[in-house]
Amino acid sequence: MMTYLKQLYKTSYPFRFLLFGIVLSFLPLLSDLDIIEFSALTTWAQIIIFAVVALGLNLLLGFSGLISLSTAGFMGFGAYTITFLSNRFDLPFMLAILITLAIAAAIGVFIGLLSLRVEGIYLAIATLFVGEILQQIYKQVDWFSGGFSGVRFHYPQFNLIFTTIELTRNQTFIFLVACLVLVMTVIYNIINSRTGRALMAMSRSEHAAQAMGINILKYRLVAFVTSTVIASFSGILYASFMRGVEPTTWNLNLSLFIIAMVVVGGYKSIFGMFLGAFVIHGIPTFWLNEMFASIPGFAYIFSGVLIIVIIMFYSVGLIHIHHDIKKLYLKIKPYVIKAYKKLFTKKQEKGDKNA
Amino acid sequence: METTLRIFFSSLETGSVYALASLGIVLIFRTSKTTNFAQGVIGTFNGYIAATLFLKWGWGIWEVTACALFTAFLTGILIDTIIIRPASKVNPVSKQIITLGLIMIILGILPWLFGIDFLSLPRFIPITESTRISVLGASITYNAIFVILVSSTLMGLLFWFLKYTKWGLAIRVTAADDTTSKLMGVPTKTVTMISWATAAMFGTLAAIFIAPQTNVNPLMLADVQINAFFAAVLGGFTSFIGPVVGAFILAISKNLSLIYISDEWGNVIVYLLVLVVLFIKPYGLFGKKGVKKV
Repeated sequence: MMTYLKQLYKTSYPFRFLLFGIVLSFLPLLSDLDIIEFSALTTWAQIIIFAVVALGLNLLLGFSGLISLSTAGFMGFGAYTITFLSNRFDLPFMLAILITLAIAAAIGVFIGLLSLRVEGIYLAIATLFVGEILQQIYKQVDWFSGGFSGVRFHYPQFNLIFTTIELTRNQTFIFLVACLVLVMTVIYNIINSRTGRALMAMSRSEHAAQAMGINILKYRLVAFVTSTVIASFSGILYASFMRGVEPTTWNLNLSLFIIAMVVVGGYKSIFGMFLGAFVIHGIPTFWLNEMFASIPGFAYIFSGVLIIVIIMFYSVGLIHIHHDIKKLYLKIKPYVIKAYKKLFTKKQEKGDKNA
Repeated sequence: METTLRIFFSSLETGSVYALASLGIVLIFRTSKTTNFAQGVIGTFNGYIAATLFLKWGWGIWEVTACALFTAFLTGILIDTIIIRPASKVNPVSKQIITLGLIMIILGILPWLFGIDFLSLPRFIPITESTRISVLGASITYNAIFVILVSSTLMGLLFWFLKYTKWGLAIRVTAADDTTSKLMGVPTKTVTMISWATAAMFGTLAAIFIAPQTNVNPLMLADVQINAFFAAVLGGFTSFIGPVVGAFILAISKNLSLIYISDEWGNVIVYLLVLVVLFIKPYGLFGKKGVKKV
């Protein structure tokens, strides 16, 4: 049995994702046992939510080398639309999710078609502006977004045949973990499909890819739409865990933080996105903000410096750091052994002399 | 007629601010091959310096402006030498992300250095009854005239500089082909450094011009920056005159649609139109399709 599981762990990535999810699912238990604080669970949930967005953005940024600056806007779109559909039309949770994602995909196709025909910079600029419009909508269209005060939502409700059950906070957390595992698996499968191979070829050389018959526009569009849909999905998760949406959350800075997560975690990696979300959101929230309370914008400086340093000196991303640590270990191991031996023999000699 | 003229005058003023900012963006795009998303915050940072000097030390607006331009020059050189030049080998996307990282750093530094209160800056020529003239019934302030004159002179100087001086030639050849011009003995490092410094100074001027209309806050140039990007895209990133024309077209059409169509969604309509124009003419009004070699 054990060997079978080990074999599975070595060969199957989705199994690793599942295992990772199971480990994360113990966090609510820790919170109940007061080992971690109540508020820390919220931070972990946010890390999971950001990891989901980063996974989507990674497909765009890591593979097709395009920058989207409206990621936060689309997260907000997901959060607001699910609240709107659920509160106004009383749609079941799952149906509301599907409709939200479908609308997000349609918007993604529209923006992508308008801005993806030319060089990559245009997408960044077009999405910069789309993000601004979305933010303006969230602030000003009261019937949709509740204006400046935002809207309330509830934990996810599932319609069973006769009753409706609403998840508790801990169950919602596990729901988020399940979604993370799902998105990880989906992204893994996309990367290892025909689309993923095409994207990989494009990321190496667009001209070579084009020469091999890959339709650049089509795959850019696929990457952009997927990242848009996943961003909206994570917005849905946000609304369901935080039980409410506020308009000021979805600004450009959040999009920048998410880009930072992708860069810091490592382009094209899957676990890297979780690591990136943890480093960019978790580390400041858990430790640094308290340590540097006198500097109000410390989280910004931390992420900004981290982005620049990682791009300049360690562009593969933090997820690959264990390889380097291992290499370093193997490199210094002989010296360490030698030094130990020297020390040991010297001591022995001394001992001999004393004797 | 009167309203139209008034719109025209105010568009000239905002248009010149957009043009300054977008010229900075295009200069950097051409010489360092990166889209500088931090153009706005670099200007804001130096705008904060100006406002602090003005409020805390009681300097006049002219001295403050000169001082801010000097610090802008230094900021540009510093950013280029510390960050952009060592990173010149990374791929274009990562370079853009570096400028996004710069935004985060500066946004984090601002409240730490200058406090969280919003600051203010006065106009160069205070608005009173005697400092405005009326042209065919529409009045225009001396300050607006000053802003328009200064920006257009600066832009004119820049174009003259680019076209007729040796250094301008150096900038143009660096923009055309970095590697070849390096081989021909053009000091591309200095060229890039000076473009960053110039761009930072243009951004700072835009900040000081726009500050009296609102106040000095971390996001004061966000709107200008977006418009500057759109102006550059509309005019074409590959020409120097394009962004200026784009800036004025954008300013005029924005103001017209704000007044005649909708004051909430006027901006959005114009931006959508720009996107449609881009769909038809992807490289901008004055841009040329760059030749890419494999």
